[in-house]
Amino acid sequence: MISSGERELELLIGPQHPASGHMRLVAKVDGDVVVELRPNIGYVHRSVEKLAEVKKYLQIIPLVERPSLADTTANNLAYVMALEKLLGIEPPERAKYLRTLLAEINRIHSHLYGLGIHGVMIGSSTAYMWCFGDREPFLELAQELTGARLTYSYIIPGGVRRDLPAGLGERAERVLRYMENRMRDYFNLYFNNPVVRARLEGVGVLSRHDAINLGITGPNLRASGVAYDVRRAEPYAAYPELEFDIVTEEAGDSFARVMVRVREIVESMRIIRQVIRKIPEGPILHESYEKLIPPKLRESMKQRGMVKFPSVFANLRVPPGEAISRVEGGRGEVVFHIVSDGKLSPYRMRMVTPSFRNVILFEHLTRGVRVADIPAIYGSLDYFPPEADR
Amino acid sequence: MSLSRTVRHAKAILTGFKYLFAGPRLTLMYPDDIQELPEGYRGMIEYDWDSCIKCSLCAMVCPADAMKMYVSKEESEREGKVVKRPGINYTRCIFCGFCVDICPTDSLRFTKVHDVAYYTYEEQIYPPAEFSKGVPRPLYLREPRKVRAVLDERRGIRYEPARS
Repeated sequence: MISSGERELELLIGPQHPASGHMRLVAKVDGDVVVELRPNIGYVHRSVEKLAEVKKYLQIIPLVERPSLADTTANNLAYVMALEKLLGIEPPERAKYLRTLLAEINRIHSHLYGLGIHGVMIGSSTAYMWCFGDREPFLELAQELTGARLTYSYIIPGGVRRDLPAGLGERAERVLRYMENRMRDYFNLYFNNPVVRARLEGVGVLSRHDAINLGITGPNLRASGVAYDVRRAEPYAAYPELEFDIVTEEAGDSFARVMVRVREIVESMRIIRQVIRKIPEGPILHESYEKLIPPKLRESMKQRGMVKFPSVFANLRVPPGEAISRVEGGRGEVVFHIVSDGKLSPYRMRMVTPSFRNVILFEHLTRGVRVADIPAIYGSLDYFPPEADR
Repeated sequence: MSLSRTVRHAKAILTGFKYLFAGPRLTLMYPDDIQELPEGYRGMIEYDWDSCIKCSLCAMVCPADAMKMYVSKEESEREGKVVKRPGINYTRCIFCGFCVDICPTDSLRFTKVHDVAYYTYEEQIYPPAEFSKGVPRPLYLREPRKVRAVLDERRGIRYEPARS
Protein backbone atom coordinates (compact mmCIF):
# COMPACT_ATOMS: atom_id res chain seq x y z
CA MET A 1 0.00 0.00 0.00
CA ILE A 2 1.23 3.43 -0.84
CA SER A 3 -0.29 6.35 0.99
CA SER A 4 -0.40 9.73 -0.69
CA GLY A 5 2.93 11.48 -0.78
CA GLU A 6 4.87 8.24 -0.63
CA ARG A 7 6.74 7.08 -3.70
CA GLU A 8 8.35 3.84 -2.71
CA LEU A 9 6.84 0.41 -2.92
CA GLU A 10 8.24 -2.57 -1.11
CA LEU A 11 8.58 -5.57 -3.38
CA LEU A 12 9.27 -9.00 -1.93
CA ILE A 13 11.05 -11.39 -4.27
CA GLY A 14 11.14 -14.90 -2.86
CA PRO A 15 11.76 -17.06 -0.94
CA GLN A 16 9.30 -19.08 -3.03
CA HIS A 17 10.19 -17.39 -6.27
CA PRO A 18 11.78 -19.29 -9.14
CA ALA A 19 14.48 -16.67 -9.65
CA SER A 20 15.26 -15.85 -6.05
CA GLY A 21 16.84 -19.10 -5.00
CA HIS A 22 16.58 -20.09 -1.36
CA MET A 23 16.52 -16.52 -0.19
CA ARG A 24 14.38 -13.41 -0.15
CA LEU A 25 15.17 -10.13 -1.79
CA VAL A 26 13.44 -7.15 -0.24
CA ALA A 27 13.37 -4.42 -2.85
CA LYS A 28 12.19 -0.85 -2.45
CA VAL A 29 11.16 0.41 -5.85
CA ASP A 30 10.25 3.82 -7.15
CA GLY A 31 8.40 3.01 -10.33
CA ASP A 32 10.81 0.76 -12.19
CA VAL A 33 13.89 1.97 -10.36
CA VAL A 34 15.30 0.03 -7.42
CA VAL A 35 15.98 2.38 -4.53
CA GLU A 36 17.27 -0.28 -2.20
CA LEU A 37 17.58 -4.04 -2.31
CA ARG A 38 18.36 -6.04 0.78
CA PRO A 39 19.11 -9.73 0.61
CA ASN A 40 17.39 -11.71 3.36
CA ILE A 41 19.49 -14.81 3.80
CA GLY A 42 19.54 -17.79 6.14
CA TYR A 43 16.65 -19.85 4.79
CA VAL A 44 18.86 -22.87 4.17
CA HIS A 45 21.15 -22.60 7.15
CA ARG A 46 22.08 -26.09 8.32
CA SER A 47 24.63 -25.39 11.00
CA VAL A 48 27.58 -27.11 9.41
CA GLU A 49 30.00 -25.51 11.85
CA LYS A 50 28.09 -26.69 14.93
CA LEU A 51 27.51 -30.16 13.50
CA ALA A 52 31.25 -30.45 12.87
CA GLU A 53 31.83 -30.21 16.60
CA VAL A 54 30.02 -33.52 17.18
CA LYS A 55 31.21 -35.38 14.08
CA LYS A 56 34.49 -37.21 13.87
CA TYR A 57 37.18 -35.78 11.61
CA LEU A 58 36.60 -38.08 8.67
CA GLN A 59 32.82 -37.75 8.93
CA ILE A 60 33.12 -34.02 8.34
CA ILE A 61 34.33 -34.56 4.78
CA PRO A 62 30.88 -35.32 3.33
CA LEU A 63 29.37 -32.67 5.59
CA VAL A 64 31.40 -29.73 4.28
CA GLU A 65 30.63 -30.78 0.71
CA ARG A 66 26.90 -30.42 1.12
CA PRO A 67 26.50 -26.63 1.33
CA SER A 68 27.90 -25.89 -2.11
CA LEU A 69 26.72 -28.81 -4.10
CA ALA A 70 27.96 -27.56 -7.45
CA ASP A 71 31.44 -26.90 -6.11
CA THR A 72 32.13 -29.72 -3.68
CA THR A 73 35.82 -30.29 -4.33
CA ALA A 74 36.88 -26.85 -3.14
CA ASN A 75 35.35 -27.44 0.30
CA ASN A 76 36.59 -31.01 0.47
CA LEU A 77 40.11 -29.94 -0.45
CA ALA A 78 40.26 -26.94 1.86
CA TYR A 79 39.01 -28.95 4.84
CA VAL A 80 41.44 -31.80 4.24
CA MET A 81 44.33 -29.37 3.74
CA ALA A 82 43.67 -27.82 7.13
CA LEU A 83 43.42 -31.28 8.64
CA GLU A 84 46.71 -32.32 7.07
CA LYS A 85 48.41 -29.25 8.52
CA LEU A 86 47.29 -30.38 11.98
CA LEU A 87 48.35 -33.96 11.34
CA GLY A 88 51.66 -32.78 9.91
CA ILE A 89 51.51 -34.89 6.77
CA GLU A 90 52.02 -34.03 3.14
CA PRO A 91 50.23 -36.06 0.42
CA PRO A 92 52.31 -37.82 -2.25
CA GLU A 93 52.91 -36.04 -5.57
CA ARG A 94 50.51 -38.16 -7.59
CA ALA A 95 47.71 -37.47 -5.12
CA LYS A 96 48.36 -33.75 -5.46
CA TYR A 97 47.95 -33.94 -9.22
CA LEU A 98 44.76 -35.97 -8.88
CA ARG A 99 43.39 -33.38 -6.45
CA THR A 100 44.17 -30.66 -8.97
CA LEU A 101 42.54 -32.65 -11.76
CA LEU A 102 39.28 -33.04 -9.86
CA ALA A 103 39.36 -29.43 -8.67
CA GLU A 104 39.62 -28.18 -12.24
CA ILE A 105 36.94 -30.51 -13.61
CA ASN A 106 34.80 -29.26 -10.76
CA ARG A 107 35.59 -25.62 -11.54
CA ILE A 108 34.46 -26.09 -15.13
CA HIS A 109 31.14 -27.69 -14.27
CA SER A 110 30.56 -25.24 -11.44
CA HIS A 111 31.07 -22.33 -13.85
CA LEU A 112 28.78 -23.93 -16.41
CA TYR A 113 26.18 -24.29 -13.68
CA GLY A 114 26.46 -20.61 -12.81
CA LEU A 115 26.38 -19.51 -16.44
CA GLY A 116 23.36 -21.68 -17.11
CA ILE A 117 21.37 -20.32 -14.17
CA HIS A 118 22.31 -16.80 -15.20
CA GLY A 119 21.13 -17.56 -18.72
CA VAL A 120 17.69 -18.66 -17.64
CA MET A 121 17.43 -15.72 -15.23
CA ILE A 122 17.77 -13.26 -18.09
CA GLY A 123 15.41 -15.27 -20.22
CA SER A 124 17.67 -17.38 -22.39
CA SER A 125 16.53 -20.91 -21.73
CA THR A 126 18.79 -22.08 -24.56
CA ALA A 127 21.89 -21.00 -22.65
CA TYR A 128 20.54 -22.83 -19.62
CA MET A 129 20.01 -26.05 -21.56
CA TRP A 130 23.38 -25.82 -23.25
CA CYS A 131 25.33 -25.17 -20.08
CA PHE A 132 23.58 -27.90 -18.14
CA GLY A 133 23.96 -30.30 -21.04
CA ASP A 134 27.65 -29.58 -21.38
CA ARG A 135 28.21 -30.11 -17.67
CA GLU A 136 27.29 -33.71 -18.32
CA PRO A 137 30.53 -34.84 -20.08
CA PHE A 138 32.52 -33.29 -17.22
CA LEU A 139 30.32 -34.97 -14.61
CA GLU A 140 30.87 -38.20 -16.48
CA LEU A 141 34.64 -37.76 -16.19
CA ALA A 142 34.41 -36.95 -12.50
CA GLN A 143 32.11 -39.91 -11.94
CA GLU A 144 34.59 -42.23 -13.55
CA LEU A 145 37.36 -40.88 -11.35
CA THR A 146 35.48 -40.78 -8.04
CA GLY A 147 32.40 -42.99 -8.33
CA ALA A 148 29.89 -40.20 -7.75
CA ARG A 149 28.42 -37.38 -9.81
CA LEU A 150 28.72 -34.46 -7.40
CA THR A 151 29.36 -35.50 -3.82
CA TYR A 152 32.80 -36.87 -4.51
CA SER A 153 34.28 -37.08 -0.97
CA TYR A 154 37.36 -37.90 -3.00
CA ILE A 155 40.07 -36.18 -1.01
CA ILE A 156 41.06 -37.80 2.28
CA PRO A 157 43.83 -36.97 4.74
CA GLY A 158 47.09 -38.12 3.20
CA GLY A 159 45.91 -38.53 -0.37
CA VAL A 160 42.96 -39.39 -2.55
CA ARG A 161 40.61 -42.36 -2.70
CA ARG A 162 40.96 -43.52 -6.28
CA ASP A 163 43.75 -43.70 -8.79
CA LEU A 164 43.39 -42.40 -12.34
CA PRO A 165 41.36 -45.00 -14.30
CA ALA A 166 43.08 -46.35 -17.43
CA GLY A 167 42.28 -44.27 -20.48
CA LEU A 168 40.72 -41.39 -18.60
CA GLY A 169 43.29 -38.97 -19.98
CA GLU A 170 42.32 -39.80 -23.52
CA ARG A 171 38.61 -39.49 -22.76
CA ALA A 172 39.21 -36.18 -21.00
CA GLU A 173 41.02 -34.92 -24.09
CA ARG A 174 37.96 -35.74 -26.22
CA VAL A 175 35.71 -33.85 -23.82
CA LEU A 176 38.03 -30.83 -23.84
CA ARG A 177 38.08 -30.76 -27.66
CA TYR A 178 34.31 -31.00 -27.69
CA MET A 179 34.02 -28.07 -25.29
CA GLU A 180 36.45 -25.97 -27.31
CA ASN A 181 34.38 -26.47 -30.44
CA ARG A 182 31.19 -25.70 -28.58
CA MET A 183 32.64 -22.47 -27.20
CA ARG A 184 32.43 -20.89 -30.67
CA ASP A 185 28.72 -21.56 -30.84
CA TYR A 186 28.26 -20.31 -27.29
CA PHE A 187 29.71 -16.98 -28.39
CA ASN A 188 27.64 -16.83 -31.57
CA LEU A 189 24.39 -17.71 -29.93
CA TYR A 190 24.72 -16.24 -26.47
CA PHE A 191 27.72 -14.20 -25.37
CA ASN A 192 27.95 -12.10 -28.55
CA ASN A 193 24.20 -11.95 -28.95
CA PRO A 194 23.24 -8.24 -28.96
CA VAL A 195 20.23 -8.98 -26.73
CA VAL A 196 22.48 -10.55 -24.09
CA ARG A 197 25.01 -7.74 -24.38
CA ALA A 198 22.26 -5.15 -23.94
CA ARG A 199 21.07 -6.89 -20.78
CA LEU A 200 24.52 -7.27 -19.23
CA GLU A 201 26.92 -4.59 -20.42
CA GLY A 202 27.18 -1.63 -18.11
CA VAL A 203 24.79 -3.28 -15.62
CA GLY A 204 25.86 -3.65 -12.00
CA VAL A 205 29.28 -2.07 -12.35
CA LEU A 206 31.63 -2.86 -9.47
CA SER A 207 34.68 -0.61 -9.35
CA ARG A 208 38.10 -1.99 -8.54
CA HIS A 209 38.23 0.16 -5.41
CA ASP A 210 34.86 -1.05 -4.10
CA ALA A 211 35.63 -4.67 -4.92
CA ILE A 212 38.72 -4.55 -2.73
CA ASN A 213 37.08 -2.59 0.07
CA LEU A 214 34.04 -4.86 0.26
CA GLY A 215 36.22 -7.97 0.41
CA ILE A 216 34.76 -9.51 -2.72
CA THR A 217 36.31 -12.76 -3.83
CA GLY A 218 36.68 -15.06 -6.81
CA PRO A 219 35.59 -14.31 -10.38
CA ASN A 220 33.56 -11.32 -9.17
CA LEU A 221 36.76 -9.72 -7.86
CA ARG A 222 38.77 -10.55 -10.96
CA ALA A 223 36.07 -9.06 -13.19
CA SER A 224 36.85 -5.70 -11.59
CA GLY A 225 40.48 -5.87 -12.64
CA VAL A 226 42.06 -7.34 -9.50
CA ALA A 227 44.37 -10.21 -10.40
CA TYR A 228 43.97 -12.16 -7.18
CA ASP A 229 43.73 -15.91 -7.14
CA VAL A 230 44.60 -18.17 -4.20
CA ARG A 231 46.07 -20.70 -6.63
CA ARG A 232 48.75 -18.09 -7.33
CA ALA A 233 48.81 -16.15 -4.05
CA GLU A 234 49.25 -19.20 -1.85
CA PRO A 235 49.79 -22.18 -4.16
CA TYR A 236 48.58 -25.59 -3.02
CA ALA A 237 48.22 -29.09 -4.51
CA ALA A 238 50.01 -29.26 -7.87
CA TYR A 239 49.45 -25.62 -8.86
CA PRO A 240 53.05 -24.47 -8.28
CA GLU A 241 54.17 -26.80 -11.07
CA LEU A 242 51.48 -25.88 -13.57
CA GLU A 243 51.23 -23.00 -15.98
CA PHE A 244 48.07 -20.96 -16.02
CA ASP A 245 47.01 -17.35 -16.25
CA ILE A 246 44.84 -15.45 -13.84
CA VAL A 247 41.86 -14.27 -15.83
CA THR A 248 40.85 -10.66 -15.29
CA GLU A 249 38.45 -8.23 -16.92
CA GLU A 250 38.44 -4.48 -16.50
CA ALA A 251 34.80 -3.47 -16.92
CA GLY A 252 33.44 -4.85 -13.63
CA ASP A 253 29.90 -5.16 -15.02
CA SER A 254 27.68 -8.22 -15.26
CA PHE A 255 29.11 -9.11 -18.66
CA ALA A 256 32.70 -8.93 -17.38
CA ARG A 257 31.80 -11.35 -14.57
CA VAL A 258 30.34 -13.75 -17.13
CA MET A 259 33.41 -13.39 -19.32
CA VAL A 260 35.78 -14.17 -16.44
CA ARG A 261 33.95 -17.46 -15.90
CA VAL A 262 34.00 -18.32 -19.58
CA ARG A 263 37.71 -17.60 -19.89
CA GLU A 264 38.41 -19.51 -16.68
CA ILE A 265 36.80 -22.57 -18.24
CA VAL A 266 39.34 -22.30 -21.04
CA GLU A 267 42.14 -21.83 -18.51
CA SER A 268 40.97 -24.86 -16.51
CA MET A 269 41.02 -26.96 -19.63
CA ARG A 270 44.63 -25.93 -20.10
CA ILE A 271 45.40 -27.06 -16.55
CA ILE A 272 43.64 -30.42 -17.06
CA ARG A 273 45.78 -31.10 -20.15
CA GLN A 274 48.95 -30.33 -18.20
CA VAL A 275 47.90 -32.52 -15.28
CA ILE A 276 47.25 -35.47 -17.57
CA ARG A 277 50.57 -34.97 -19.34
CA LYS A 278 52.69 -34.40 -16.25
CA ILE A 279 51.12 -36.67 -13.61
CA PRO A 280 53.91 -38.62 -11.91
CA GLU A 281 53.76 -42.28 -11.02
CA GLY A 282 53.71 -43.28 -7.39
CA PRO A 283 51.44 -43.93 -4.43
CA ILE A 284 48.23 -41.99 -3.87
CA LEU A 285 48.11 -42.40 -0.10
CA HIS A 286 50.66 -41.22 2.44
CA GLU A 287 53.03 -44.00 3.48
CA SER A 288 52.29 -43.63 7.20
CA TYR A 289 48.68 -44.62 6.44
CA GLU A 290 49.50 -47.12 3.73
CA LYS A 291 51.65 -49.21 6.07
CA LEU A 292 48.71 -49.55 8.47
CA ILE A 293 46.69 -51.44 5.90
CA PRO A 294 47.01 -55.27 6.10
CA PRO A 295 49.45 -56.52 3.42
CA LYS A 296 46.94 -58.66 1.55
CA LEU A 297 44.53 -55.75 1.30
CA ARG A 298 47.33 -53.40 0.29
CA GLU A 299 48.10 -55.59 -2.72
CA SER A 300 44.51 -55.78 -3.94
CA MET A 301 44.08 -52.07 -3.32
CA LYS A 302 47.04 -51.26 -5.54
CA GLN A 303 45.76 -53.57 -8.24
CA ARG A 304 42.32 -52.02 -8.33
CA GLY A 305 43.56 -48.47 -7.83
CA MET A 306 41.08 -47.95 -5.00
CA VAL A 307 42.37 -46.95 -1.59
CA LYS A 308 41.31 -48.87 1.49
CA PHE A 309 41.15 -46.83 4.67
CA PRO A 310 43.40 -47.82 7.55
CA SER A 311 41.32 -48.54 10.65
CA VAL A 312 42.65 -45.41 12.40
CA PHE A 313 40.44 -43.38 10.07
CA ALA A 314 37.35 -44.48 12.01
CA ASN A 315 38.59 -42.63 15.08
CA LEU A 316 41.17 -40.24 13.72
CA ARG A 317 42.90 -38.40 16.53
CA VAL A 318 44.35 -35.02 15.66
CA PRO A 319 47.04 -33.31 17.76
CA PRO A 320 45.89 -30.15 19.57
CA GLY A 321 46.43 -26.94 17.65
CA GLU A 322 45.00 -24.67 15.02
CA ALA A 323 45.23 -24.68 11.26
CA ILE A 324 43.93 -22.47 8.49
CA SER A 325 43.78 -23.35 4.83
CA ARG A 326 42.67 -21.50 1.74
CA VAL A 327 41.54 -22.82 -1.62
CA GLU A 328 40.33 -21.10 -4.76
CA GLY A 329 36.95 -22.67 -5.48
CA GLY A 330 34.76 -22.02 -8.47
CA ARG A 331 33.01 -19.12 -6.80
CA GLY A 332 35.98 -17.75 -4.91
CA GLU A 333 38.12 -18.25 -1.87
CA VAL A 334 37.16 -21.00 0.57
CA VAL A 335 38.74 -20.77 4.03
CA PHE A 336 38.75 -23.41 6.74
CA HIS A 337 39.91 -22.86 10.27
CA ILE A 338 40.07 -25.90 12.53
CA VAL A 339 40.78 -25.73 16.24
CA SER A 340 41.63 -29.11 17.71
CA ASP A 341 41.89 -30.00 21.38
CA GLY A 342 43.18 -33.50 20.70
CA LYS A 343 39.79 -35.19 20.88
CA LEU A 344 37.92 -37.09 18.17
CA SER A 345 36.03 -34.03 16.92
CA PRO A 346 37.24 -30.49 16.31
CA TYR A 347 36.79 -28.08 19.17
CA ARG A 348 35.68 -25.52 16.63
CA MET A 349 35.53 -25.43 12.87
CA ARG A 350 35.08 -22.24 10.91
CA MET A 351 34.06 -22.41 7.30
CA VAL A 352 34.14 -19.25 5.19
CA THR A 353 32.49 -19.65 1.81
CA PRO A 354 32.82 -17.27 -1.14
CA SER A 355 29.08 -16.77 -1.57
CA PHE A 356 28.80 -15.37 1.92
CA ARG A 357 31.48 -12.82 1.15
CA ASN A 358 29.85 -11.85 -2.13
CA VAL A 359 26.29 -11.48 -0.82
CA ILE A 360 26.94 -7.84 0.07
CA LEU A 361 27.01 -7.08 -3.65
CA PHE A 362 23.24 -7.46 -3.84
CA GLU A 363 22.88 -4.32 -1.81
CA HIS A 364 25.84 -2.54 -3.33
CA LEU A 365 25.25 -3.10 -7.03
CA THR A 366 21.51 -2.67 -7.24
CA ARG A 367 21.07 0.94 -6.20
CA GLY A 368 19.38 2.83 -9.01
CA VAL A 369 19.07 -0.09 -11.42
CA ARG A 370 15.86 -1.20 -13.12
CA VAL A 371 13.83 -4.06 -11.66
CA ALA A 372 14.66 -6.18 -14.72
CA ASP A 373 18.35 -5.71 -13.97
CA ILE A 374 18.03 -7.55 -10.65
CA PRO A 375 18.21 -11.04 -12.23
CA ALA A 376 20.94 -9.87 -14.62
CA ILE A 377 23.06 -8.85 -11.63
CA TYR A 378 22.04 -11.73 -9.37
CA GLY A 379 22.96 -14.36 -11.92
CA SER A 380 26.25 -12.75 -12.77
CA LEU A 381 27.37 -13.05 -9.14
CA ASP A 382 26.96 -16.85 -9.27
CA TYR A 383 25.56 -16.59 -5.77
CA PHE A 384 24.54 -19.89 -4.23
CA PRO A 385 22.32 -19.47 -1.14
CA PRO A 386 23.06 -22.80 0.59
CA GLU A 387 26.76 -22.09 0.31
CA ALA A 388 26.38 -18.69 1.96
CA ASP A 389 24.06 -19.96 4.71
CA ARG A 390 26.10 -23.10 5.37
CA MET B 1 28.17 -0.28 -34.84
CA SER B 2 24.69 -1.14 -35.98
CA LEU B 3 26.08 -3.20 -38.84
CA SER B 4 28.12 -5.33 -36.44
CA ARG B 5 25.01 -5.72 -34.33
CA THR B 6 23.04 -6.92 -37.30
CA VAL B 7 25.78 -9.39 -38.11
CA ARG B 8 25.77 -10.68 -34.55
CA HIS B 9 21.98 -11.00 -34.56
CA ALA B 10 22.21 -12.96 -37.79
CA LYS B 11 24.95 -15.20 -36.38
CA ALA B 12 22.86 -15.97 -33.29
CA ILE B 13 19.83 -16.85 -35.39
CA LEU B 14 21.87 -18.95 -37.81
CA THR B 15 23.51 -20.83 -34.95
CA GLY B 16 20.11 -21.51 -33.43
CA PHE B 17 18.85 -22.67 -36.81
CA LYS B 18 21.80 -24.99 -37.22
CA TYR B 19 21.05 -26.60 -33.87
CA LEU B 20 17.45 -27.22 -34.91
CA PHE B 21 18.72 -29.94 -37.23
CA ALA B 22 22.13 -30.92 -36.00
CA GLY B 23 23.83 -30.65 -32.66
CA PRO B 24 24.51 -32.66 -29.58
CA ARG B 25 21.57 -34.49 -28.06
CA LEU B 26 22.57 -35.49 -24.56
CA THR B 27 19.32 -36.89 -23.22
CA LEU B 28 19.42 -40.35 -21.71
CA MET B 29 15.99 -41.89 -22.32
CA TYR B 30 15.63 -43.26 -18.81
CA PRO B 31 13.99 -45.70 -17.92
CA ASP B 32 13.78 -47.10 -21.46
CA ASP B 33 17.53 -46.82 -21.59
CA ILE B 34 19.64 -47.29 -18.52
CA GLN B 35 23.25 -46.30 -18.36
CA GLU B 36 25.94 -48.82 -17.59
CA LEU B 37 27.91 -47.20 -14.81
CA PRO B 38 31.69 -47.09 -14.56
CA GLU B 39 33.78 -49.48 -12.51
CA GLY B 40 33.84 -48.39 -8.88
CA TYR B 41 30.55 -46.51 -9.01
CA ARG B 42 29.33 -45.86 -5.48
CA GLY B 43 25.87 -47.40 -5.53
CA MET B 44 23.95 -49.50 -3.02
CA ILE B 45 26.04 -51.75 -0.83
CA GLU B 46 26.42 -55.51 -0.80
CA TYR B 47 27.18 -57.39 2.40
CA ASP B 48 28.92 -60.74 2.65
CA TRP B 49 27.78 -62.55 5.78
CA ASP B 50 30.56 -65.14 5.95
CA SER B 51 33.68 -63.01 5.54
CA CYS B 52 32.52 -60.30 7.99
CA ILE B 53 34.65 -60.20 11.13
CA LYS B 54 32.16 -57.98 13.03
CA CYS B 55 34.77 -55.29 13.73
CA SER B 56 32.11 -52.52 13.49
CA LEU B 57 34.49 -50.11 11.74
CA CYS B 58 31.80 -49.46 9.11
CA ALA B 59 29.36 -48.26 11.74
CA MET B 60 32.06 -46.16 13.40
CA VAL B 61 33.08 -44.34 10.25
CA CYS B 62 29.59 -43.82 8.80
CA PRO B 63 29.04 -40.04 8.61
CA ALA B 64 25.27 -40.28 8.39
CA ASP B 65 24.62 -42.97 11.02
CA ALA B 66 23.14 -45.12 8.28
CA MET B 67 25.24 -48.15 9.14
CA LYS B 68 24.41 -49.59 12.57
CA MET B 69 25.48 -52.67 14.46
CA TYR B 70 22.60 -55.01 15.35
CA VAL B 71 22.86 -57.72 17.99
CA SER B 72 22.66 -61.05 16.22
CA LYS B 73 20.46 -63.03 18.61
CA GLU B 74 21.02 -66.50 17.26
CA GLU B 75 24.79 -66.13 17.08
CA SER B 76 24.99 -64.50 20.50
CA GLU B 77 23.18 -67.42 22.11
CA ARG B 78 25.29 -69.93 20.29
CA GLU B 79 28.61 -68.31 21.15
CA GLY B 80 27.62 -67.17 24.63
CA LYS B 81 28.66 -63.56 24.03
CA VAL B 82 27.24 -60.49 22.31
CA VAL B 83 27.75 -60.75 18.56
CA LYS B 84 26.93 -57.73 16.44
CA ARG B 85 26.55 -57.41 12.70
CA PRO B 86 26.01 -54.36 10.48
CA GLY B 87 22.71 -53.32 8.95
CA ILE B 88 22.01 -50.35 6.75
CA ASN B 89 19.32 -47.71 6.61
CA TYR B 90 18.96 -46.35 3.08
CA THR B 91 16.87 -43.39 4.21
CA ARG B 92 20.03 -42.08 5.86
CA CYS B 93 22.76 -43.37 3.56
CA ILE B 94 24.58 -40.70 1.54
CA PHE B 95 26.58 -43.14 -0.61
CA CYS B 96 29.97 -41.79 0.40
CA GLY B 97 31.32 -45.33 0.46
CA PHE B 98 33.44 -44.83 3.57
CA CYS B 99 32.13 -48.11 5.04
CA VAL B 100 33.21 -50.01 1.94
CA ASP B 101 36.63 -48.42 1.93
CA ILE B 102 37.30 -49.08 5.60
CA CYS B 103 36.07 -52.71 5.62
CA PRO B 104 39.21 -54.77 6.29
CA THR B 105 37.88 -57.96 4.74
CA ASP B 106 36.07 -56.54 1.70
CA SER B 107 32.81 -57.87 3.14
CA LEU B 108 31.10 -54.69 2.03
CA ARG B 109 31.19 -53.94 -1.67
CA PHE B 110 29.75 -51.36 -4.01
CA THR B 111 27.13 -52.39 -6.52
CA LYS B 112 26.04 -50.25 -9.44
CA VAL B 113 22.40 -50.27 -8.39
CA HIS B 114 21.13 -46.82 -7.44
CA ASP B 115 17.60 -46.49 -8.72
CA VAL B 116 15.40 -48.55 -6.43
CA ALA B 117 12.04 -47.12 -5.37
CA TYR B 118 10.30 -48.07 -2.14
CA TYR B 119 6.71 -47.88 -0.98
CA THR B 120 7.39 -47.52 2.72
CA TYR B 121 9.98 -46.10 5.04
CA GLU B 122 10.47 -49.43 6.83
CA GLU B 123 11.40 -51.28 3.65
CA GLN B 124 14.49 -49.12 3.32
CA ILE B 125 15.98 -50.35 6.57
CA TYR B 126 18.00 -53.51 6.13
CA PRO B 127 18.94 -55.42 9.30
CA PRO B 128 21.94 -57.76 8.88
CA ALA B 129 19.97 -60.78 7.67
CA GLU B 130 18.23 -58.84 4.89
CA PHE B 131 21.37 -56.84 4.18
CA SER B 132 23.28 -60.01 3.35
CA LYS B 133 20.66 -61.09 0.81
CA GLY B 134 22.02 -58.62 -1.71
CA VAL B 135 20.65 -55.44 -3.19
CA PRO B 136 17.17 -55.41 -4.69
CA ARG B 137 16.82 -55.33 -8.43
CA PRO B 138 15.00 -52.25 -9.63
CA LEU B 139 11.67 -53.02 -11.29
CA TYR B 140 11.05 -51.71 -14.77
CA LEU B 141 7.78 -51.85 -16.69
CA ARG B 142 9.63 -52.92 -19.81
CA GLU B 143 13.02 -54.52 -19.91
CA PRO B 144 15.33 -51.55 -20.40
CA ARG B 145 18.06 -51.29 -22.98
CA LYS B 146 21.52 -51.04 -21.46
CA VAL B 147 23.52 -48.19 -22.87
CA ARG B 148 27.05 -47.00 -22.42
CA ALA B 149 28.06 -43.33 -22.29
CA VAL B 150 30.75 -42.72 -24.89
CA LEU B 151 32.56 -39.42 -24.57
CA ASP B 152 32.74 -38.00 -28.02
CA GLU B 153 34.70 -35.15 -29.54
CA ARG B 154 31.85 -34.02 -31.74
CA ARG B 155 28.77 -34.79 -29.69
CA GLY B 156 29.92 -34.64 -26.09
CA ILE B 157 28.16 -37.76 -24.88
CA ARG B 158 26.82 -40.46 -27.12
CA TYR B 159 24.76 -43.30 -25.64
CA GLU B 160 25.52 -46.58 -27.36
CA PRO B 161 23.94 -49.97 -26.72
CA ALA B 162 26.24 -51.80 -24.34
CA ARG B 163 27.77 -55.07 -25.36
CA SER B 164 27.23 -57.49 -22.53
